[in-house]
Amino acid sequence: MKHRRISLPIVLLGLMSVTTAAQAGTVENLERERALALEASLSPDMSPSERESSMEVSRARLVDLERMVMRDGSLKGRNTPAVRNAFQNYDLTFLVHASIEKNRTLIDHWLEQVGVTTNSLMSARVGRR
Amino acid sequence: MIRMLPKTRGSSTLLHITVTILLTLALLAALSQSLASTEPDAAVWNPVASERLIKLPGSYLKKAVENDFAASRLAASLRDTESLMDLKAQTLTDLQLAIEAADGDLKTELRHQFLAEKRDYLELVGRHQDLRRQQVSTKMRLYERLLNKLGREEAAMTPERQALVESQEDARRRLERTISKVDLKLFSTPMTGQSKYAREHAKNVVAIERLLAAIKSHPMSADSQINGRPVTKQAYLRQLVGETQSEIAIIDQEESILGYMAKLVSLDAMALSDLLTGGGEMAPEGEPEAVGITAAVEFFVP
Repeated sequence: MKHRRISLPIVLLGLMSVTTAAQAGTVENLERERALALEASLSPDMSPSERESSMEVSRARLVDLERMVMRDGSLKGRNTPAVRNAFQNYDLTFLVHASIEKNRTLIDHWLEQVGVTTNSLMSARVGRR
Repeated sequence: MIRMLPKTRGSSTLLHITVTILLTLALLAALSQSLASTEPDAAVWNPVASERLIKLPGSYLKKAVENDFAASRLAASLRDTESLMDLKAQTLTDLQLAIEAADGDLKTELRHQFLAEKRDYLELVGRHQDLRRQQVSTKMRLYERLLNKLGREEAAMTPERQALVESQEDARRRLERTISKVDLKLFSTPMTGQSKYAREHAKNVVAIERLLAAIKSHPMSADSQINGRPVTKQAYLRQLVGETQSEIAIIDQEESILGYMAKLVSLDAMALSDLLTGGGEMAPEGEPEAVGITAAVEFFVP
């Protein structure tokens, strides 16, 4: 009886820690949604109209998630690699806001940020290193 | 010790005063016994420098500390000692008046009582000063612990963290500048209206701004101030530490006064002792007169 009385709080504590670990933060949610949006926009399996409607939905979701990250007070001064990278690379993290700020489409803006431009593609050569 | 005096004309009033004073003294003795639990070693105050205390606005912090002290056993001991001091001071006043009105042996006895009461009064004052010193020292240690905690929080802001906070602030300002443009581009069509998050957020922002305005204009939410100028929490705490240090200096000065009063009481006691043993206000200096055997000759010579 005593063991059952002692073990129950320990079990509850364990469940709470598991629950806590399963929750993702605002930065992680944004990164996941951004990855899905980029995957959809680069996917060769979709038709242009399907891609356009998927991007429209993703953009609206990304706008909210980007603003949630910006308004998340718990991230202030939280010196983790994910948070540091997110705020050091504004143009890659807040894709929708940055792309509209620069009057570009989302995918164009992203490609420019990762170094894939028309000039770089045109000057690329196939060969051995 | 009171000797029974023969009733003389006009001494009934003095006798009445004496009886009144003695009854008061008996009452005081009974009170002192009943307040034995208020001895200094039973008087404690242990405030805690909690996180909650650090987060309070400056004026609240001081009031919270004072309220915490008021509920402690140390404050109760201080109050009790002050009551005893008041009663003792009244007794001294009554004795002084009685001495002025008395004469002869009664006056001497009253002077003796007056000295004893002054000694007791000084003991009470000394105890009161010890309790006050304990209060002020505890307060100063509390403020210093709070200052140390605030300092640790600032030290935790490393250059890396500071750079992160700055980049977060820059990102927030940049995003704020583009919000209206993004809303216009994305949510202007009927097909893509504002999301539920955006609508609820906008409503909550309005409510938050109203609440913040109400908090700011609330009379009890004044920021830490020194001479009417707003200051940081650290500067305010340093000011409080300075104030408690000056209180300790005043207590030190009052202890000197107490020392001088004690010296005067002992000199008065010596003078009264001389009066009682020397048979006059001042015993004459020089060698005491030898009892001459020649004076007894008259008993033996017819």
